Amino acid sequence: MATMGVSPDINGFRVIHPLDDVPEQKCSTVGLGKIRMTRAVRASLGVLRAYLILMTLMLGYHILDLSGLLHKIR
Amino acid sequence: MRVMEPEDAVTTPAAGVVVRSAWQRRIVTFLMVFGPGLIVMEADNDAGAVSTYMQAGGQYGLHLLWLLVVLLPICYFIQEMVARLGIATGKGHAAMIYERFGKWWGRFSLLDLLAVNFLTLITEFAAISLALSALGVSPSISVPVSAVGLTLMVVTGSYLRWERIVIALCLMDLAWFVLAFMVHPHWATVAHNSIVPTMPAGGITSSLVFLVIAIVGTTIAPWQLFFQQSCVAEKRLRFADLKWARLDTLIGATFTICVAGAMMLVGNYGFEHKVAFQDPAQLALALGRLPATSFEIGVLLLMVNAAVLGTTAISLASAWAYGEVKGWEHSLHKKLWEAPGFYATYIACVGAAAAIVLIPHVPLQLVIISVQVFAGLILPSAIIFLQLLLNDRELLGDRWVNRPWNNYINWTIIVVLFALSLLLAAQVMLPNLFQ
Repeated sequence: MATMGVSPDINGFRVIHPLDDVPEQKCSTVGLGKIRMTRAVRASLGVLRAYLILMTLMLGYHILDLSGLLHKIR
Repeated sequence: MRVMEPEDAVTTPAAGVVVRSAWQRRIVTFLMVFGPGLIVMEADNDAGAVSTYMQAGGQYGLHLLWLLVVLLPICYFIQEMVARLGIATGKGHAAMIYERFGKWWGRFSLLDLLAVNFLTLITEFAAISLALSALGVSPSISVPVSAVGLTLMVVTGSYLRWERIVIALCLMDLAWFVLAFMVHPHWATVAHNSIVPTMPAGGITSSLVFLVIAIVGTTIAPWQLFFQQSCVAEKRLRFADLKWARLDTLIGATFTICVAGAMMLVGNYGFEHKVAFQDPAQLALALGRLPATSFEIGVLLLMVNAAVLGTTAISLASAWAYGEVKGWEHSLHKKLWEAPGFYATYIACVGAAAAIVLIPHVPLQLVIISVQVFAGLILPSAIIFLQLLLNDRELLGDRWVNRPWNNYINWTIIVVLFALSLLLAAQVMLPNLFQ
């Protein structure tokens, strides 16, 4: 049951704190499963994967550099 | 859109405040909703932020004030989405990523968040140790006492008690404005540089570019997304509360940016008087030799306050996120024994970070670099998930999804943040590229 946090009172308005109010029905993921793979979702996740791969490669390079392995190879 | 049935039995609430007029109703409702927006923004002015903003003032004077003004709407737009998603779903960000994007993305986001948060906590305790050492308190006392105090703040079994304490700590940051007035900045220049970007002497250098990136990274931190959504869910904000949650977020963002500006003004005092400093404690000690000795104590105590605020918010962001994903009870309304996993996560984060700081010769520079790398991983991904969730009509229906203008603004912000995160990570990991 959705509430407004305010209910009519004989003397005016009764304002109810969210923690004291009746719980609301929220948007639920129950039964929905994973997000639908639209073109926008697929493209966004693809860019994110590419970004993370690039970051991982940079991190790997940095670790090799710190360990001195790159200098030995050169 | 599907709706979730309320877990508890629906009863007419007996509690509440009776007011006579519509404007009183609006004020009281706002005050009841107020909190998460201010806390998430002001806690972001943590020890690292104090250091970055003061460094910006110390190196470039008032030249970077305009950047803070640009960051204000960006902070607001991102956190407004977080608040909207939290109110619509009643769940935290980590849980939503897990449920809508699957276990792989869920685990990646959670582990990255926990890692960056934990490393940030180490820097917070290092700041507490540094500032209180400058005031003559040994780290072996200041760090454990802070850790115990931070734990006691959350284990009372009352969200509202924690929220009131933290709002009081946020309001203590008003003292930054007093300090800013004490250094007598040239207010006309302050006003001008807040609106018009000006070039510092020396032009665009790599150090200027990376300080700009550091300011952006400091002002928009990944934990904020997780924290505010969980906080809104914890406070059980209702659909009708959204406009007040937006106002709360806007007030929080404005207050935080103004406080950040005040920190820059204090740093600018070092710039104008040629005081060289590596961290705010050094500047505070240098300024202590000037007539106003209260200035030194003020900066050091505010640094501790910033670290305490940052620590409680960041640790809670971790504990809420981990509890949501694990399916544990994860609420400050619960007693210690009713939500053991949630409280254990919070206490473990605080306790372990404090213990690490007490180890002699901890490589803090390595910790700071690791924070930047992990933040570079988590911030773009968390924002992408946020944007996709706010366009998820199947979950949210038409009422809560982004409007087209929201999407134009948010995608622009995301592209800029991706580029800046990549640039910062490249500078940290491939410094030779920039020499």
